[in-house]
Amino acid sequence: MAAPLLRHLSRTNVIARRTVLAFSKHNNDMQCRYLRNSKSLPPYLKEQVERRTKVGPEPKRHPSAFGCWNYDAELFAFGKRLGEDFDVDILREAFISRSYIEMEIEERKKVGVKTQIPDTSCNEELSIEGKQLIQKYLKAYLRFNFPYMFEEGICAICEYLMTTEILASVGKLIGVRDLIQSKHYPPTDEEMVDTFMAVVAAVAKSQTEERAGAFVVDFLVPRLVGKDINEMWKLDNPMGLLSAVLQSRGMASPESRLLWQTGCSSIMSLYHVGIYSDKELIGRSPGETLTIAEKQAAKEALKNLMKSDDSRPPFLSSSKVPLKSLDLEKKNPSADLLLKLYSQSDTSAQRATK
Amino acid sequence: MSSRSLPATRLINVGQNGVGRYVCQLARITLRFCKHQASSRGMRDFVENYLVDFARSNPNVVVYVKPHRHRGASIQADYLNGNSHKTRVSKMDMDDICKWIELARTRSGVDIVRKTKNFQTHSPSIQGVWHPFLFKDPSVNLKTFPDSEYGRFEVNEVTATERILQLAERMKQLELEKGEGKSEKDGESV
Repeated sequence: MAAPLLRHLSRTNVIARRTVLAFSKHNNDMQCRYLRNSKSLPPYLKEQVERRTKVGPEPKRHPSAFGCWNYDAELFAFGKRLGEDFDVDILREAFISRSYIEMEIEERKKVGVKTQIPDTSCNEELSIEGKQLIQKYLKAYLRFNFPYMFEEGICAICEYLMTTEILASVGKLIGVRDLIQSKHYPPTDEEMVDTFMAVVAAVAKSQTEERAGAFVVDFLVPRLVGKDINEMWKLDNPMGLLSAVLQSRGMASPESRLLWQTGCSSIMSLYHVGIYSDKELIGRSPGETLTIAEKQAAKEALKNLMKSDDSRPPFLSSSKVPLKSLDLEKKNPSADLLLKLYSQSDTSAQRATK
Repeated sequence: MSSRSLPATRLINVGQNGVGRYVCQLARITLRFCKHQASSRGMRDFVENYLVDFARSNPNVVVYVKPHRHRGASIQADYLNGNSHKTRVSKMDMDDICKWIELARTRSGVDIVRKTKNFQTHSPSIQGVWHPFLFKDPSVNLKTFPDSEYGRFEVNEVTATERILQLAERMKQLELEKGEGKSEKDGESV
């Protein structure tokens, strides 16, 4: 089937056709018979498409399958890409996943080789270390950035950044995917996350812990751009927390007032509630109903008190944060503790009045 | 093909690259060429003159050089997101090849599609959402409507009635001036 096609598509024929076309206007049809009106070409292409759909798409293959692959060079480039100096042996260990070790052991059993691979050579230990490092430095950075934010809010942001989705995409961005030694390609998200954490630990081991902290801040904090950090902490009772906060600061308890309302009998109703303390507006927000508006206004007031409102300055870059002198253990005030403290004092005060 | 049927995206910065630390998205580059054919001349020149400098200044890119007998020269760029782009560079001279390699180095590796806008912002407003009560005076809350002050109909132009009244006043003034002039003249004559 392909033979007549090839013959007529050969270069000399095409050139000949062009020259003929230049001189004759009317016998186009004759000259392009095999190119435009070929009876054999459409069925041939159709068959090709059918076979392709039957087989399915090509499975994704590792770049080494295409012939050009030098693992040492790739590891060197990985370090340079991130601007870090790695100890090659530690980095190599960081890329070996559990599934790869299992696969290797099975293969060796099949062949009958008796040498054993130590179980500790995979990146599990490093990833655990890396996870602790990430949490430690991320929280310290966030506390430095938001000194008035509650510890729960900081933990919520940290949790968001530690999700599999985000860590896997960060790992992908820095080029972990092709370097992981794993049973399957592309590696699973969990393997990507483990490897990313192991890489963080490798930075700490090859250099210093602060360097790993800067690495974490540089690659994870940009993921907060465009995200609402206040919505990450799910607050059930913002009004209760607000009154506790105001009480702890020695301010008057919050009073909510309806500032505006419109379209109350329609489905597009709008209420605008403001919250006052000592006759001073500390937060206001719109809402579809009065309760929603009040809740949102309380959240807004808390945002203003925590200095994490929408008009806050942008995140600090890692070079502007003194990671060396940061107190990693120091925690921000806890909202739960505050609530417990002031709800108790409320009840005792009520008892005293009775 | 209309623009509706073609894929389009907004401007993407892959993973906020460069906000914290910039990571060059080109992972490896494979240069393929023939050692003998004339069409690979430019690529051979590039390999002789510039390749070492390129590799030295970009240690984050792994360079593979692969001679193929009697094939056209090509550049294959593999990116960190898994995409790879192949450019055929046979019959190109060294300068053109330099430009193609520079393009591969500075790209993010996402597919080239039509952009709906050339800009993008993640936080459209830091002042908060617009609502119908923005910049309204709270004293309106205490008014009972209909209110004479708030219900006043303001007209910027001069109405016909006002215009006639103004004319009448002017005429009166003129007449007064005339009368005064006459009386003065009378006085002189007397």
